[in-house]
Amino acid sequence: MRRLRALEPLAWTGPAVVLIALVVLWPVVEMIRSSFLKINRRGVEQGFYGFANYDKLFDEKDFAEIMVRSVIWVVAVVALTVLVSLALAQLFNQRFPGRRVARWALIAPWAASVLMTAIIFKWMLDPEVGVINQIRLKLGLIDALGGASADQLGDASTAMPWLVFVAVFVSVPFTTYALLAGLATIPADVYEAAKMDGASRLRTYWSITLPLLRPALTVAALINVMNVFNSFPIIWAMTHGQPGYSTATSTILMFILKGSNIGESAAMSVVNFGMVLVLTVIFLKVSRWNKEVA
Amino acid sequence: MRIKLAGGAALGVAAMLVLSSCGSGSGGSGSSGDQKASDGGQVTLKMVAADYGDGPGKPNSGETFWKGVVDEFQAANPNIKVEVQVINWNDIDKQVATMVQNGQVPDILQTGDYSGFAKDDMLYKVEEVLSPNVSGDMLQKFAEYGKVDGTAYGIPFVSSARALFYNKELFAKAGISEPPKTWDELKADAEKLKKAGVSQPFGLPLGQEEAQGESFLWMLGNGGGYKDASGKWAINSPQNIETFTYLKGLVNAGLTTPNPGTKDRKTVWEDFGAGKVGMVNGGPMSIPIFDAAGLKDKYGVAPIPGKSGPLDTTLGVMDWIMAFNKNGHAAEIKKFFDFFYTGSAAQKISDTYKLLPVTNGGIQKLSSDEKLKPFLDALPNASFYPFQDPKWADVNPEIKQTIGGAVKDDPAKVLGELQKTADAG
Repeated sequence: MRRLRALEPLAWTGPAVVLIALVVLWPVVEMIRSSFLKINRRGVEQGFYGFANYDKLFDEKDFAEIMVRSVIWVVAVVALTVLVSLALAQLFNQRFPGRRVARWALIAPWAASVLMTAIIFKWMLDPEVGVINQIRLKLGLIDALGGASADQLGDASTAMPWLVFVAVFVSVPFTTYALLAGLATIPADVYEAAKMDGASRLRTYWSITLPLLRPALTVAALINVMNVFNSFPIIWAMTHGQPGYSTATSTILMFILKGSNIGESAAMSVVNFGMVLVLTVIFLKVSRWNKEVA
Repeated sequence: MRIKLAGGAALGVAAMLVLSSCGSGSGGSGSSGDQKASDGGQVTLKMVAADYGDGPGKPNSGETFWKGVVDEFQAANPNIKVEVQVINWNDIDKQVATMVQNGQVPDILQTGDYSGFAKDDMLYKVEEVLSPNVSGDMLQKFAEYGKVDGTAYGIPFVSSARALFYNKELFAKAGISEPPKTWDELKADAEKLKKAGVSQPFGLPLGQEEAQGESFLWMLGNGGGYKDASGKWAINSPQNIETFTYLKGLVNAGLTTPNPGTKDRKTVWEDFGAGKVGMVNGGPMSIPIFDAAGLKDKYGVAPIPGKSGPLDTTLGVMDWIMAFNKNGHAAEIKKFFDFFYTGSAAQKISDTYKLLPVTNGGIQKLSSDEKLKPFLDALPNASFYPFQDPKWADVNPEIKQTIGGAVKDDPAKVLGELQKTADAG
């Protein structure tokens, strides 16, 4: 009877463990397995292929460029998201008339499907009829609609900032709410003590708010790093990674490869998986290092 | 603090595992789905088909079309049940590949290519699943393309051809009396249109959706193509480089869609429908789009201009239907195919989607349609993608992604890279 009791926790954790094994571990194993198989375009497995899929992937002309762009993409989007969210969280933590409405409104970009948001931005940037270009025309920023100057998504140098903007736009709500929750956990007496000691506002923020916010900040940023690295719909809907591969990240390349070579695509997924692990470890290292200094 | 941080990190790592596993895990090798439902002689045919309509829920969706066909067929053949799964064009090849990998092969597949499956010995021969009187009525040239090593596996399903659409109102406004026949005329007309305030004199979609089609039409205009006469890949032939240099000139002069390498066919056709584009290459399938946009009767159709004269050929595209041999339903499939081609279904698909028929009988029935006539006339002499070459599967996605660079950067270099892809391995 006692032994049975000892097993009781298993009944509670078991289903979760099985679920994780089924929907997380098994696909990972399958993904890695596929990356070592020769699979033709029709999906017929043609045996073990060694590292040939990886060789082909690393030989892709644009591979290095795409990997570098992926990292820049993640860093840019996450950094901007966190900065904007820190400010917004601070704002929404204040009491002001209409705060409830403002908080609700912030949810909108989060609640809407990312794909939908991306398509709407693509439409707004349409060179012929996009509302953003209509405004730019009225402001005299462009001479005419329909030409190259109105086609910001047509060139990587102007498309990339827009892609980053949309990615930040959809990431900010979640991050803000995570930070807002973090702010709510900071006890008021700490601030009172700071006030008594005569700390300035900036000093209070830097020495009290930020350190106490770090757990929430770490989790929010970490989830964003992984989310943004694997982000697909924004870039796909707005540029297909074009012109050429000049706005593509590794996730976009993975999808394009899927159409011609599933094995190589799986290899790309494995590399992606590894990248996320590496980025995560680096990130955790960095945030802990910060803590020791502070 | 420390505990909180560790908790946060653990949560983060768990979330990471979940998120990153949303990548490209491919399905495993599940058990084979042998659909032989032998109870009571009832047989279920599983069919996968591409959607020619505007998607689920639209009146012209593939589901609606096939339901009509299947209902009629099942009424006449109570022992055979047909289950149709309609998949959109962007996903169908990937999804079918997943089905094959999982051992869940359909009985019938209708999509853009058959040749790979034939090489994998997965298909019935045409003679096993189609009556001679039906296969005899197929356009000979089309049926030829359905053969691998002399044996027919692919059955032509529908076809389409391309021609030049021009906006008559914009042409009148720019003082142009007739559509261009040569590249020089095309450029001159485009300049006139530009002066008359048309933002995109020539609509040039070289983006992901169908860059391989638009490019091919231009290559044909200079006696080029993806392959040379001897069947060798010739993507960076001097003719093709000259073609893209000419196009680059148009682009730089602002006479085309801006940044063609990022523009999809659909967008450019919509712009043409909205009266923003002077000329564009299109097919029968673009007629409903232009008509719906309110351009009905305001556009003309002409042969596509070439370097020194109008093309005597055009891009023909054929879609295929095929029967898989895994589940052993040849007799039932034959009944269904014969029903499809001899009944009203094949005719209905042409009417609904403005796709061209593949049978002599079908072409005769449509020959009175004024708008379709230029395309029907072009069909017998059409040129096709080299889709039977296994390399096409590697080259095609690469063309879609990068060939637009040939009108932006150095044409010889961009085409040279594509040639390398075709020659590799």
